[in-house]
Amino acid sequence: MRRDRLTILVWQLLILVTALVAWQYLTGIKAISRTPGLYWIDPFFISRPSAIAERFVYLMSPRVRLTVWQMALSTVQSTVWGFLVGISTGFVAGLVLGRGDRLARVFEPYIVAFNSLPRIALVPLITMIFGFGLLAKIVLAWSIVFFIVFFNTFQGTRSVDADLVHSARFLGASERQIMTSVIVPSALAWTFASLTPSISFALIGVVVGEFIGGESGGGLGYLIIQSLGTLNAADMMVALFVLGAIGIVMALGIRQVEARLLRWRPEYQKR
Amino acid sequence: MVAPRVRVSIRSLSKTFGQGPREVPAVSDVSFEVHEREFVAIVGPSGCGKSTILNMVGGLVTPSAGEIVVDGQTVHGAPPPTVGYVFQKDTVFPWRTVEDNVALGLEYRKVPAAQRAARVREAIALAGLQGFEEAFPATLSGGMRQRVALMRTLVVDPQILLMDEPFGALDTHTKLNLHAELLSLWHAKQQTVIFVTHDLSEAITLADRIVVMTRRPGRIKLLYDVKLPRPRDVIRIRESDEYLREYGEVWHALGEEFRPA
Repeated sequence: MRRDRLTILVWQLLILVTALVAWQYLTGIKAISRTPGLYWIDPFFISRPSAIAERFVYLMSPRVRLTVWQMALSTVQSTVWGFLVGISTGFVAGLVLGRGDRLARVFEPYIVAFNSLPRIALVPLITMIFGFGLLAKIVLAWSIVFFIVFFNTFQGTRSVDADLVHSARFLGASERQIMTSVIVPSALAWTFASLTPSISFALIGVVVGEFIGGESGGGLGYLIIQSLGTLNAADMMVALFVLGAIGIVMALGIRQVEARLLRWRPEYQKR
Repeated sequence: MVAPRVRVSIRSLSKTFGQGPREVPAVSDVSFEVHEREFVAIVGPSGCGKSTILNMVGGLVTPSAGEIVVDGQTVHGAPPPTVGYVFQKDTVFPWRTVEDNVALGLEYRKVPAAQRAARVREAIALAGLQGFEEAFPATLSGGMRQRVALMRTLVVDPQILLMDEPFGALDTHTKLNLHAELLSLWHAKQQTVIFVTHDLSEAITLADRIVVMTRRPGRIKLLYDVKLPRPRDVIRIRESDEYLREYGEVWHALGEEFRPA
């Protein structure tokens, strides 16, 4: 088991190193003449690992007004907040509408309509209402996460096994106890299935918000859009790598929580 | 000898599913009584409405006509408080460990933790589930899960036990073991039991009285008193002449219902 994990880790590192080396090497081959700028694969567009590393170090240094850490922190903050508020509101709404048949029917067209709006179309409006700061980004992330979690929890609440509810009732459960001991735990499995995609969508919302938000909103999206202005691919790559790292850490965190809360599921059982 | 008290009284019970041209009569004019401490089995071909009758006694299904009286109270809607129900399907909560599943009814009834732990420990010992207290159902066999379901129902001391083919999905060997366990548990507490099954040997092994149902729409074909002495040995009993004779008698009545129309 341990050996197996080690082998996989070695392979993963090998792929990363190979990709970086190939990138570095291929973007260094000059075409036709020795004129600078004429490359087979032009680092102007995709930069090179060495240049990215250089910019990364520079962007961490106190010489810049906004370090890459400050920007990453701003992105993480808005993502986590949007994510947390989105999960909790989505979960509660999913439970309530999942249990209330009439309520669900009343709200259905509004939910479908709002959910089918491309959320990016809301960015200008949200920015107008909530300004250029943290709040607008959180609201944007929330507006995406909410619906993902809501729909999953709603389905989960709807598909609770009726016989589990019946057996709880025969054991003397009150309606409230049925909610906490049957409905919530069964729905949770569905809710969790929506959390990993939610993280990436929360990040999308936040970064798009930062594209528009400007310096006061800060964040990695700001770094990307700023680099577009200066045609600086290396800086964009720095932002992309940091975003990727943030995504991995958050996804791993969710998997930890899930393995703890859903430890009863067959896939988490050691036989 | 005073006749034992009637605990469950089923009076001209009928149930029709669907409406208009799609109407399907499931149960038609069924009446019988179950007395204190009596073990009654309902047998019949599949689709004869035997589970429907049980669901009506438990308040899960509303009768189309007739009524059910449990301890002098007409059943409607909610399950009567003294009734426990063991489902055919696996209804153990997968997110709770074995001991937390068994404790469920006691938690609902707000039994203090210390007392709860003692009763759960006792129930787990009775079911032979020691060592599996902290296991999740996903790791257990079907027989063990059904044992957990049974103990979860029995730990709250129901006086009337409704069982809907609880061992239907198990292999013969596991089934016989559970028959023996159920009989010994029943001897200790003497609950009133209504047990639905399509397995005649199961019915004869366990019950005092057998309600034989006709094909759909289910009517009572025969009320049969099982005269086998108790306590019964679930394996030996099958070799006795008495068992074979009784089996033959009921089988004859039931066989007519299995024959294609």
